[in-house]
Amino acid sequence: MMKDRVVSVLSNTKVADEIFEMVVHSEDFPELIVGGQFIHVELPSKAHPLRRPFCIADYDVVAKTVTIDYAVIGEGTEILSNVAIGSKLKALFPLGNGFSLDDSYKTIALVGGGMGVAVLPAIPTTWKNREYHSFLGFANASKAVLVDSLREKGEVYIATDDGSLGEKGFVTSLLRSKLDEVKPDVILCCGPEIMYKSLARELEGIDIPVFISLERRMGCGVGACLVCNCKVKTAKGDKYLRACVDGPVFPMREVIL
Amino acid sequence: MSNLKVNIAGVDFKNPIIPASGTFGFGREYNEFYDISELGGFSTKGLTLLERDGNANPRIAESPMGMLNSVGLQNPGVEYFIENYLPWLKTIDTRIIANVAGSTVDDYISICDKVSIDGVDMVELNISCPNVKAGGAALGIDPKNVEMITRAVRDTCRKPLMIKLTPNVANIADNARAAEAGGADAISLINTVGGMAVNYKTRRPVLANVMGGMSGSAIKPVALKMVWQCYNAVNIPIVGLGGITSYTDVLEFMICGASAVQVGAANIYDPMASYNIVKDLQRYVDENNIDINELVGTLKVD
Repeated sequence: MMKDRVVSVLSNTKVADEIFEMVVHSEDFPELIVGGQFIHVELPSKAHPLRRPFCIADYDVVAKTVTIDYAVIGEGTEILSNVAIGSKLKALFPLGNGFSLDDSYKTIALVGGGMGVAVLPAIPTTWKNREYHSFLGFANASKAVLVDSLREKGEVYIATDDGSLGEKGFVTSLLRSKLDEVKPDVILCCGPEIMYKSLARELEGIDIPVFISLERRMGCGVGACLVCNCKVKTAKGDKYLRACVDGPVFPMREVIL
Repeated sequence: MSNLKVNIAGVDFKNPIIPASGTFGFGREYNEFYDISELGGFSTKGLTLLERDGNANPRIAESPMGMLNSVGLQNPGVEYFIENYLPWLKTIDTRIIANVAGSTVDDYISICDKVSIDGVDMVELNISCPNVKAGGAALGIDPKNVEMITRAVRDTCRKPLMIKLTPNVANIADNARAAEAGGADAISLINTVGGMAVNYKTRRPVLANVMGGMSGSAIKPVALKMVWQCYNAVNIPIVGLGGITSYTDVLEFMICGASAVQVGAANIYDPMASYNIVKDLQRYVDENNIDINELVGTLKVD
């Protein structure tokens, strides 16, 4: 059985320019969470009835906590940024398929663009004892998040649009330039779709499996309402699949960007 | 004696709570949260003769106390439903309402025939779909078309037939009367209210389809008014919907003339919504020792 849980807010702090990090606790904690899954959070506002889906940035099964990193981009996230410590929120989690890591994947390249970085830290939490290299792209230094957290899990390479942190340029080019050195068995990526297009170009002719996490406006989060459609190549042709239950993680070569 | 059982067009429902089409898939997703046989029934995702991909993304936007959607009838097709979903649904002790749609009158006639089979308790005709033969307008807008399509499917539909009315019309009472004249056994209303969401920064619509259908609490006053108008216009039972999120909403709809209700957007906000409404409603009738049927149409307007 799936269940709707009530989580209490342990912290909700600004961690970068217009970016917040919230840690929530639930005594009733799910048995299994994997990196790439998401949490669907109810807002404390009757005027804003739709839940908001956020990737589980990280989790701790002992402390029974989930960490969410989010950018304040609209009314919903604005409301969330004002939620006080100790508040209770309804939340469905974990939802979605998450990443699936074959045992043969020993060296893993994590690639994040902007808030897409927030999907990455949970991956080393789920699959320990692997070699991680994180490639992070931000607009500028003021938008950089989760860098320290990913540094604890392995090497970190950063690119910013203006060069205010790390190298100036696109994270996808940075990844390409380090590919021969890092030799990843798999690339796990989360960012805007324009970044996936750029990644696909950079990796043309290179035979490394790539999995990407898609972001969609979402409704129910459990597969019933069909609003979070993603066009994916299937055996029956190009089909709309649901980001919430069929994804949000898909092999990049199957997604029609 | 407290009672929640209702009868709509000869079909017994254990309670008047029915998740609305498009908000409940084919029942499986919510059965992961609770036993869906606790519900009076549910209306399936809108079915068409052939599989439909639906509209491009984004398909959803929030609006104050509500939401807009433009899914565009994505569904696997009626044959797939019959082969893959119906066998399981037959094992669930709840009423199954097949919601059907089409692009032409012939489509409606044919799909009504296909779903008039064992396991389907009732057919709900969705006639607010665009791209139909009737001059490009929705079949459900002009009362003449409502009567025509109802009459056209009446023979092939061998299950109780419920016509789902759109609120985007001049006078919904005329459409209700047209459905009754065409031979409908019941009507359900309201479908979504046409609406838009706009991003002022990008000057773009939020929905890829530009326009969508609004649902949720924001449309409840519109729905209550229309249920009351239709209750005063027809003798066939009314299934009321539009912004129901609590048991008190259910009571309000029944007082205005609904014999049962559908819960839509609330399922999308909260997977337990329909179940919780059933439990709250049960508590209410027990505590007040009433038969829910006694409420229907008891609005005092003197």
